[in-house]
Amino acid sequence: MPQPQPKGAPSAGGRLARFFTTENMMLAPAMLVLASVSIFPFLYLIYASLMDFSLAIDNPTFAGFRNWLRLVKDPLIFQSWKVTIVYAVTGLGLELILGVGIALLLYAAPWGRNLFVTLWMLPIFVAPVVAGLLGWFLLNSSYGLYAWVLQQFGVHTDIFGTVATALPAVILIDVWEWTPLITLIVLSGLQSLPTEPLEAAEVDGATYWQKLRYIILPLSFRIIVVALLIRSMDIMRFIDTIFITTAGGPADSTKIIGLRLFDVAFRFMDIGFAAAIGLSMLVVTIFLGKAFIRVMYGRE
Amino acid sequence: MKKKLFAILSCLVILTLVLAGCGGEKAKDTAKEPAAQGKLVDGPFKKVEGLPAIQAPEGFDWKQFAGVELNVISENTPPSSAIAANIKEFEEATGIKVNIQQMDLGTLVQKVGLDFGAGSSKYHVIYADPYQVLAKYSSKFVDLNELEKDPTLPKIPGGLEDFIQSQLEIDGYMGSKDKLYALPYDCPTMVLAYRTDVMAKIKENFLKEKGFDPTPNPNMTWEQYYQVAEYINKHAAELGVKYGTGHQAKQYDSLMCDFSNILNAYGADYFENRDLGGIGAANPGKTALTTPEAIQAFEFYNKLLKIAHPGSKSWDWNGLAEAFAAGEVAMAPEWHEFASMFENPEKSKVAGKVAWTTLPKGPKRSANIFGGTGIGINANASEKEKKAAWLFLVWATSPQTQLMILESPVGGATPSRNSVYNVASVKKAMEDPTSEEAKKMPNLTSMKATLEAWKAENAYGRPKVPQWPQIDTIVFTELSKMLAGQQDPKTTAESISKQVDALTGN
Repeated sequence: MPQPQPKGAPSAGGRLARFFTTENMMLAPAMLVLASVSIFPFLYLIYASLMDFSLAIDNPTFAGFRNWLRLVKDPLIFQSWKVTIVYAVTGLGLELILGVGIALLLYAAPWGRNLFVTLWMLPIFVAPVVAGLLGWFLLNSSYGLYAWVLQQFGVHTDIFGTVATALPAVILIDVWEWTPLITLIVLSGLQSLPTEPLEAAEVDGATYWQKLRYIILPLSFRIIVVALLIRSMDIMRFIDTIFITTAGGPADSTKIIGLRLFDVAFRFMDIGFAAAIGLSMLVVTIFLGKAFIRVMYGRE
Repeated sequence: MKKKLFAILSCLVILTLVLAGCGGEKAKDTAKEPAAQGKLVDGPFKKVEGLPAIQAPEGFDWKQFAGVELNVISENTPPSSAIAANIKEFEEATGIKVNIQQMDLGTLVQKVGLDFGAGSSKYHVIYADPYQVLAKYSSKFVDLNELEKDPTLPKIPGGLEDFIQSQLEIDGYMGSKDKLYALPYDCPTMVLAYRTDVMAKIKENFLKEKGFDPTPNPNMTWEQYYQVAEYINKHAAELGVKYGTGHQAKQYDSLMCDFSNILNAYGADYFENRDLGGIGAANPGKTALTTPEAIQAFEFYNKLLKIAHPGSKSWDWNGLAEAFAAGEVAMAPEWHEFASMFENPEKSKVAGKVAWTTLPKGPKRSANIFGGTGIGINANASEKEKKAAWLFLVWATSPQTQLMILESPVGGATPSRNSVYNVASVKKAMEDPTSEEAKKMPNLTSMKATLEAWKAENAYGRPKVPQWPQIDTIVFTELSKMLAGQQDPKTTAESISKQVDALTGN
């Protein structure tokens, strides 16, 4: 005796019919493209992290979790994460302070805002590799303008060749290039703030600092977090500037994790280990993103 | 009767077969002979008196591969720039279209590795750096012996014997001499550049004070070099230079090259197996960097870099060349092909004031690291592409093309062919740096020293092993830590040994 169909539960044919709706069929090409450019490579990355490509790049052998164990055991990876943390935290901190500060100044500026924003944004349009070259030309100890200025004050150190100065120099290049992005995002947020609370505060006789502390910053908090979120992801990925100026040296003092990944993947062609490093970077980025989003919505 | 007839018939059949067999063998031989030993005729290329011409078997159709498109991947070096500028000669003669892509070595290694990994032939002709490409991917290259022996194809003009043999060994083979993977293409070698004007200024007083001539020469030792550099530092203001010596000690491949000269001059090497610098080996065996000679070399290099231009630690070979050309340093171990830059008044403040010699000697010898590269053919290419690529290889490495590269204003690289050095104009330029010929081929000002550096007693080839990119990185990273004062020379040597032995499983 056939089992009675529960009320409301669709039959197999019904499920199939629901799947092949016009909407789904129209979405299918886009989903296929998305799968081919994003999901399949991601799955391949997971597969690669379990393989050993070091002996023959076109004929990998199964390595189990060896690449993942190397990731935990290799002191060079830890060293690179340490440098990355210093690089990212200092860089983001400076970009945040300067970016938000300049955005506030522009927000309050009575005239010339558009002209200044246009000029201020120029570094964003420069490719990171060109930013690195500019930094190299300006700080080069043979012909660099800034190096020459320092030499006039009796400072004869080589900026990219000294451990104490190389990392600050590459951080400052990053700050020069990307602070305008923070400014731009924050300024757009400030310009869309509701004017009523500010007008009410003015009527109540609030000072600028009081308005900033109690109205402007709390209201633009979300947009600042969004700016930081975008930059924090980028700062882990972009290696061009460091590659051009110091190549990770001296003494590995500027070898961020992205640069280490580049070495392992493209100099050593150790694709399995590189895949494991890449996935670990992805996990860190996801956690970072989640943390920022939690901070963003935590204040609601 | 029947039996007799059968026996006679059988004998006749056997005899016929034997005769036919012998005749066939003979016929086969005679068919082979003309092709194998057939007359070779000159190809449709420019001929230069005194140089072996590019030749092919009689009747060879140079245009049989017309329409084939070859992708050549090369480091952005002077020979490739000169070849790109003069590629019309080859394209018109063969109908083959050649796309030359030039890039930095790191990018090249990455692209070639991915091409091989994918089993494809995006690049047909490959700039096969012996240490970063050939050592690791030799099996992915065509055995050029097969193409050279093919009776239907053009021959290497002048034969393999015309290449500088030590360079052929390094650039062409891997592990054994059974297969030839690449033909020598360029040959930068590290020698010593120094300022003649600075040396002339200090000569008298230095001689009085130290008792030897400060002018670098083939008999100068590294310890004497140190003293000269230190002396120039003390008198820098009056001499018009900032420092006595400059080095390419950025945390990069250049640092390993710079250090290797001293390591080997002190009688040490990276591995116990000392025969890795030529044809190389798959497994290098145990390291030998903690021997007393090696430790001495580490100590001396650390000491030398303390008095070198502070910029040294951020310079690779280009940075050092720019500093030398800007007149910042009086002496620099540098690749000999920078001679044309130093003699170009538009790029150099020291044009006409530069001389070259082999690198100073250590307790053992003078060691001058070789940095040349060959070009080979991707084994994944189709048969037609392989043959078209062979024509390109024959032309690009021919003495005529090598001479063209030497004379080209966009090239200037020195030839990897013995015969070119016997051309009258080349000889004159090497002997007289003030001659018109030398002005036309400024790279030859460093050539006398370089030819000395190529002699077996002065030449040094770094270990050619598949793991070299990793070993190189370990060496220059640890050296960089030593130069930054983070570890002493002994610890540096031990750290490199430990990491390299772990990497190679020894």
